Amino acid sequence: MCRYIYTLFISALFLFCSAPVFAQQTDTIAEEDTAAAKPKKKDMAGHQLTLGVDIYRPILNQLQKDRYGYELSVSYYTRNEYYLTMEIGRGGSTVDSAYLKYETTNEFYRLGFNKSILARDNPKDWDMMFIGLGLGVADIHRGSATFVVIDTIWGNNTGVIPANSFPAYWAEIAGGVRVELVKGLFAGWTARGKFLLNRNSFSELSPLYIAGYGKGDKNTVFDINAYISYAIRWDRKKKTVIDTSKQALAPTPAIDSTKVIVPATNGTKSMREARDAKSK
Amino acid sequence: MIKQNRYLFFIFTAVCGILWGACKQEGSPCLTPTQVHLVVESMHKTTDTSTVFTDTTLSYARFAALSPNPIKYGYNPSSLFNITLSPNDTFCQWVFTTDTAETKKDTITLNYQPGRQFLSNACGYIYFYSLTSVSSTHNIIDSARINVKSVTNDITSNPKHVQIYIHPLY
Repeated sequence: MCRYIYTLFISALFLFCSAPVFAQQTDTIAEEDTAAAKPKKKDMAGHQLTLGVDIYRPILNQLQKDRYGYELSVSYYTRNEYYLTMEIGRGGSTVDSAYLKYETTNEFYRLGFNKSILARDNPKDWDMMFIGLGLGVADIHRGSATFVVIDTIWGNNTGVIPANSFPAYWAEIAGGVRVELVKGLFAGWTARGKFLLNRNSFSELSPLYIAGYGKGDKNTVFDINAYISYAIRWDRKKKTVIDTSKQALAPTPAIDSTKVIVPATNGTKSMREARDAKSK
Repeated sequence: MIKQNRYLFFIFTAVCGILWGACKQEGSPCLTPTQVHLVVESMHKTTDTSTVFTDTTLSYARFAALSPNPIKYGYNPSSLFNITLSPNDTFCQWVFTTDTAETKKDTITLNYQPGRQFLSNACGYIYFYSLTSVSSTHNIIDSARINVKSVTNDITSNPKHVQIYIHPLY
């Protein structure tokens, strides 16, 4: 059922994304044809710093009692529809079954960039549909774990795995939407595909949940965040334009036609000429 | 541009969120076996010089564990028998007889090195084994040998870990 829903969701996402992308492709081809004639379009948008909070996580925290997480997001508009993004957060999980008992907590940081694929209506239009890439790191702390291997013939085998701290690294691709509801206030979601890079380093006991990533025993995870964010904006500094027209009109120094400048072919010859002139 | 479809966007987002949330299970149950089985194959020669063949004539062979919680496995006519190894020790013993009516018995001793392996958060750990030696008494069994050393939860290759040769005169 879930696989079907994921497929449906991803298909809808791509369908939703594809229209503006194709539109942009045709625009690009058209632009390429006239690239030589037209100057590059100037980025008129100002600076924007967006601070957001994931509102979906607290809802999931209520539904899933064995794990929790919180997430904040910061993004900064650079140029040409590129946004630098950083997300930070923390979370944890509790495993309490007949076979295994332990707790984990972790902090995480994600760094990446998003590229808006939606053409602006005007420089003040900050709605966006984007795709992005990023890297994530989590610092995981696991308490000591007790385990039981149930064996009805030979007797149960129990043991303790000592507490440990270790990092997790992952790469991710993202896609999503932000809509400005009122001036400066955005709502939107981000869907992410995440790829764990160092699972072998904690294969002895994979965490149930890594906040910022997802299930610790999966190499690939799909996840969604829903953000409410607030944007702070300011204009770009206007570049000082140097007026070269005055320099062009300034009188050039007059050339004394009586003096004939003979170019020296090399240093020794010109010195000799100077010495001859002095002796004369 | 999105502003024109704002309500559509919110409905889409909300539906996706609800579906996604509904799919997230609090804790998945353990659905995989947490014990591995060692497969014993019985072989039989009718005479010392004859070709070895797999024995399928053991109509009701029985294995009994010499353990703190002894258990008896009875089998329908078969040549393959699944037994378990103790994770708490480096050896274990099983008593074997070819039939319920048979009074002759043999004890098979298996020596091995257990190794703990993480299975999943739902199932915890499982023990895999590396067989080092196998021996038996010789009332019914002529000899026993290790065929596949590694005892894991991989059943795709249909491993037959230990072969027991029934005495030619039996």
